Amino acid sequence: MPPKSILKKTTTVSTNAPGRTKPLNPRHLDVALHHANILEERKRVERQVLESIMTLMDFPASPNADAKRPTATDAHQFREAVVPFQPADYDALIEERNIANKCGYALCPRPKRKARSTARKQFVDTDHGVEIVDRKVLEVWCSDDCARRALYVKVQLSEEPAWSRQGGYGDTIELMVENADEHQKALPLRLKEGPTSSTNDDEDDLAAAWAAREDAMTDLAVERGEKPGQLSKANNDLVQDQITERFATNVPPQPPSLPSQSSEHTMAIEGHVPRSDRKDEEKDEDDDPQDWDKHLPG
Amino acid sequence: MEGEKYQPSLIRMWRVWRTAKEMMNDRGYLVIEDDMTLSLEDFAQKYAREDGEPDRSRLNFSCQPSEEMLLKYTPAPTKKEPNPTPEIGTIWIEFNSDENVGLKQLRDYMGHLLNGSFYSGIMVTVKPMTGMAIRLLRGATGMSDGPKGGVEVFVEQDLLVNITKHELVPKHVLLSAEEKDQLLQRYRLKQTQLPRIQSTDPVAKYLGLRRGAVVKIIRKSETAGRYASYRWVI
Ligand SMILES: [Zn+2]
Repeated sequence: MPPKSILKKTTTVSTNAPGRTKPLNPRHLDVALHHANILEERKRVERQVLESIMTLMDFPASPNADAKRPTATDAHQFREAVVPFQPADYDALIEERNIANKCGYALCPRPKRKARSTARKQFVDTDHGVEIVDRKVLEVWCSDDCARRALYVKVQLSEEPAWSRQGGYGDTIELMVENADEHQKALPLRLKEGPTSSTNDDEDDLAAAWAAREDAMTDLAVERGEKPGQLSKANNDLVQDQITERFATNVPPQPPSLPSQSSEHTMAIEGHVPRSDRKDEEKDEDDDPQDWDKHLPG
Repeated sequence: MEGEKYQPSLIRMWRVWRTAKEMMNDRGYLVIEDDMTLSLEDFAQKYAREDGEPDRSRLNFSCQPSEEMLLKYTPAPTKKEPNPTPEIGTIWIEFNSDENVGLKQLRDYMGHLLNGSFYSGIMVTVKPMTGMAIRLLRGATGMSDGPKGGVEVFVEQDLLVNITKHELVPKHVLLSAEEKDQLLQRYRLKQTQLPRIQSTDPVAKYLGLRRGAVVKIIRKSETAGRYASYRWVI
């Protein structure tokens, strides 16, 4: 800081002082920079959301697509695209699709329902008898089923704008589908064999932690759009699960995620799952009879 | 009474269309005088459907810039560009009749402008566009998939009356690049030191003023007669 003048401050009238002679307060500079970055990020997200809406307006590509059983590619693209959305952005997508005469649900290729007349209020037959519905509400979806599936996505969207979400926005959005097996992300089988042979609880923990870590890594890889071939560990699982045409067996498909797995997934701290958070301690008894002896002393 | 013979929607549209013609004329495009003074009767004869409603699809028109306008929109020559071309050209004004206008219509319109090699365009809509369409529009100036001179959107309501004809609205005149340079030199100013006017200001929007332009505002004053001030468009 230059020595302070004891003279009365004279405000310079000249507004176009050449260059910056005032010393800059680094803290102010930081604050300004911080705000500029947020603004920049906001612009970027808004542009991205707009572009996603323009893509999803014409979704799905095939006119024969089925909202109940979307292709893995369509489902993946849709889920990825809506991650930065706020609920209002999602409403905007529905609005734009409706203007283009499409069902509001982005995975549905059908036109939106058309009211029988142009009256503002419409009579609709429902399971509970005849109801009076706003025409605008009626003409959003092609069916109640699509409304359910679309709203299932909406409730998962974060109210927080994507540019101010802590730690980026890596959340995944789940879809309501009837062909979950075809979309199932590569979840490596949990390493059961190793731990069951040993009675060491620590080792058990360790294996579970590794499995959880692998789950996370695989999710991350899929999210990044990495090719299965580039993955080092869960390679085989990925390849098997993503080729959908081979489903010719009668074996009923596995549900997308086991409750025990998903709980571990969220409770894991850097890959380690604290024992108090592991729900499978009790559950495993029913699930896996081979595990019964590990609770015995010795 | 002539008003009773025609539907309110037709009378409305007649006003909107006339304001659009005046607006083009005030910007410097070539507009036929008769269009700006077209009577309601003639308008109805030309543009009303059988049911008496206005047929918006027949209201669309294009305009050519006048010589004076071409000069005004020609940037100052530089060493790199000794013979600059005017940054203005044929404009296409379209009256959209859809109840809801969104990304679909805006993108179709932008495609139409490109296909017809229009320099810029104005879409007049029945109701305000969707938020996403406005977002696209904001980023569209200079965007690769839009026309060079950009797209403007007016809601019919905005053109129901010509705001510049109101006695309290002073006259706004766009300065050419040369006039702007002279002004800044005379007062030894940088353009950023001028008072500002938003490009979304109703008069700025009416005149289609672009960012960076300088507009001269001429007011009448009881004491000083007429005086001018200048504003930089942001
Ligand atoms: Zn549908």
